[in-house]
Amino acid sequence: MTAATPSVARPRMRMIPWRAPVAVVAALVISYLVIANAAGAQAQEQFINALTIGALYALIALGYTMVYGIIELINFAHGEIFMCGSFVAWWLITTMGFTGTIHDLPILVIVLVVVFLVSMLVMGVVGVIIERFAYRRLRNAPRLAPLITAIGVSFILQNLVFVGISNSIVKVPQLIPFDLLQIGPLAIREINLFVIVFAVALMIALQLFITRTRLGTAMRSTAMDREAAQLMGVNINSTIAITFFIGSALAGAAGVVQTQYLGNTVFNIGFQSGLKAFTAAVLGGIGNTTGAAVGGFVIGFLEVTSSVYGIGRWSEAIVFGALVVVLIFRPNGILGQQLADRA
Amino acid sequence: MNLRNLGALAGTVILVAGACSSGAASPTATAVTPVVTPTPAASAPAASAPAAGIAVKIGIELPMTGGEAPNGVPTANGVALALSKIQVPGFTITIEQEDDALNGTHDPPTGAANMQKLANDPSVLFVVGPYNSSVAQAEIPVSNAAGLMQCSPANTNPGLTQTWGGVDPKTLRPTNPDKIAYVRVATTDDLQGAAGADIAYNVAGKKSAYVADDTETYGKGIADVFATNFTKLGGTVVKRDGIPDKTTDFTSYVTALKGLNADYVYYGGVTTSGLGIFRSQMASQQLATIPFGGGDGIVDGSAATASSFLNVAGADGDANTYGTVAGPHDIPNAAQFTSDYKAMFSADPGAYSAAAYACTQVFLQALKAVGTGVTDMAALREAVRAYVATPANSYDSALGTFSFDANGDTSQKIVSYYAFDATTKAWKFLSQRDFTANPVQ
Repeated sequence: MTAATPSVARPRMRMIPWRAPVAVVAALVISYLVIANAAGAQAQEQFINALTIGALYALIALGYTMVYGIIELINFAHGEIFMCGSFVAWWLITTMGFTGTIHDLPILVIVLVVVFLVSMLVMGVVGVIIERFAYRRLRNAPRLAPLITAIGVSFILQNLVFVGISNSIVKVPQLIPFDLLQIGPLAIREINLFVIVFAVALMIALQLFITRTRLGTAMRSTAMDREAAQLMGVNINSTIAITFFIGSALAGAAGVVQTQYLGNTVFNIGFQSGLKAFTAAVLGGIGNTTGAAVGGFVIGFLEVTSSVYGIGRWSEAIVFGALVVVLIFRPNGILGQQLADRA
Repeated sequence: MNLRNLGALAGTVILVAGACSSGAASPTATAVTPVVTPTPAASAPAASAPAAGIAVKIGIELPMTGGEAPNGVPTANGVALALSKIQVPGFTITIEQEDDALNGTHDPPTGAANMQKLANDPSVLFVVGPYNSSVAQAEIPVSNAAGLMQCSPANTNPGLTQTWGGVDPKTLRPTNPDKIAYVRVATTDDLQGAAGADIAYNVAGKKSAYVADDTETYGKGIADVFATNFTKLGGTVVKRDGIPDKTTDFTSYVTALKGLNADYVYYGGVTTSGLGIFRSQMASQQLATIPFGGGDGIVDGSAATASSFLNVAGADGDANTYGTVAGPHDIPNAAQFTSDYKAMFSADPGAYSAAAYACTQVFLQALKAVGTGVTDMAALREAVRAYVATPANSYDSALGTFSFDANGDTSQKIVSYYAFDATTKAWKFLSQRDFTANPVQ
């Protein structure tokens, strides 16, 4: 079982190993030039802004795409899990008594590790619970039933926070300094560096997990053909639960990033950012984890570019317009289906 | 199974969900949104209160929950205070309270539905509200069709009553274009925006401004007026931006500020559409030294008030901030009003509490004048509407003496200026300008 599956799941990337890095570098250079064309002296900073917000969208998008890849469910509650993650971060940080930036590096690291671990763990468990009680019984129902259930779960989570915690904008202390770091020719704020590096590290870890571990193989085989995977001895229920756990934990991490980078959260942020992230997942090719990351960065880039060019008024039209254009020419998204490629 | 079309399906779902987000009400959320319950007396039938006069209702249509609570609650309190102080012989007046905040933000379709609900209740003779101009746009056609007079304490977009941007306000009242059923005691943004420019140029002494708006009716209108007047005064608008009201990440807009050499930021909008977050992100990027100005959308309470602008902008980010209110600060008997308000609600009045009080006074005066002997509710509603719509009637109110012109605008053309005060962490009254005596040049 383990030997045969990977080569089927990753059809083309293996054959042309230089293609991906070249494409990434080319995309980064082109994005930078587009932004630099209008941003003047702030080109570098704006480019980093785009990467940072893109990383946030990408982290959320991964959860959408993983769940879609494995059970073909558009998990609308995923944005709400992201929102709840940000509230867990808010609760932890204020309970621990922090009110602002921590300049002592060891303490900062410890606090961040605690906040991220707890938020990811809590949201991962919440994701598993939602799957167990809301989606599992509907797994073989018509596709519309779990979709509506997902929307229902989303409203439940949103209203729980609205009624139980806060019905307006909540300020969260930003622990990571906003000081500028000079790395060679690159000037970058510590917070931006942290968000980008952290998000990319998580994405690489996820990629390695999916491609190199037995559980990852089980996930991919379940995505490709559930019955066959089951016949091969894969435990479908636990595999799907693990997928929900990982996707939700990533959303929990994104929730922490939201509070640390933007300094606030609100009960309905899951809808806004969730919609953007879902768009990212579709843009990149839903079901495809690399595609979700790419889509996240593309949307971050489009948002910042529209702001830089002074057409921020149209940023949403531009983002969704880009989605339409991409889907016209590539109905399966930029990178197409990968996790669940059975066409 | 073929998955080729699923990408397109998913895209359709996104677009549908996107359309929903732009305002359509979600039934589930509405059901759970807590609506402030009317006073117990409001639901009591007339029969149970014998000899108390004819039972009639005054509607309140304001955003009461979520981030809007600092706006709606003190304003609604103004109505309750007026009713407790002033009686109309022969009538028992109770409050019918509606909330146009959906999931914590004012929502025009919810406002229109609320207005329809109030109009359907024959005993509702008058409505105080709404708070936001975008909500008023949705409500005016409804109140006009029902002939139910509404008085807004806080709407400032000129287009609601006057020809603005080439649009005739009669398009808002297609049923009875020549019968107004909407008046307001707040003055308009053509003056409030000018006042903002006056502050930026003359009070703060700044010459180059970055001007943004939240792309809503109110925000875009007031920012446009600011830009025009700031230029007229001799200042330069270095960039004019529109930032969608659902934006969460303002970082790139703030970063762009650095390259603009702007020494003032004017942002048309309200706290819930992101102005507080924008200001806090300015502070994150060490730009809090640039003064920030806004209209009455940000004068919504002290830094201690949860989810007010000053609270969201943060202890560091809110210094250097200016705001305006489209009405007089120096009202007759201000001390008496404040102490009455405090006695009843144990809090300081909000920016538009006295305005809501004045709206209620307009209704009570009209009812006193036309109500005697009328028992038919439809006739009474129309009589109140006609009385208030008559420009000859003037009102001696909490805001001073004023009348409404044929459009429904107040004769009081006064804007109050405020600045953030670091010691009290609240808005400090600077001065007020009467544009009747001292018009925009």
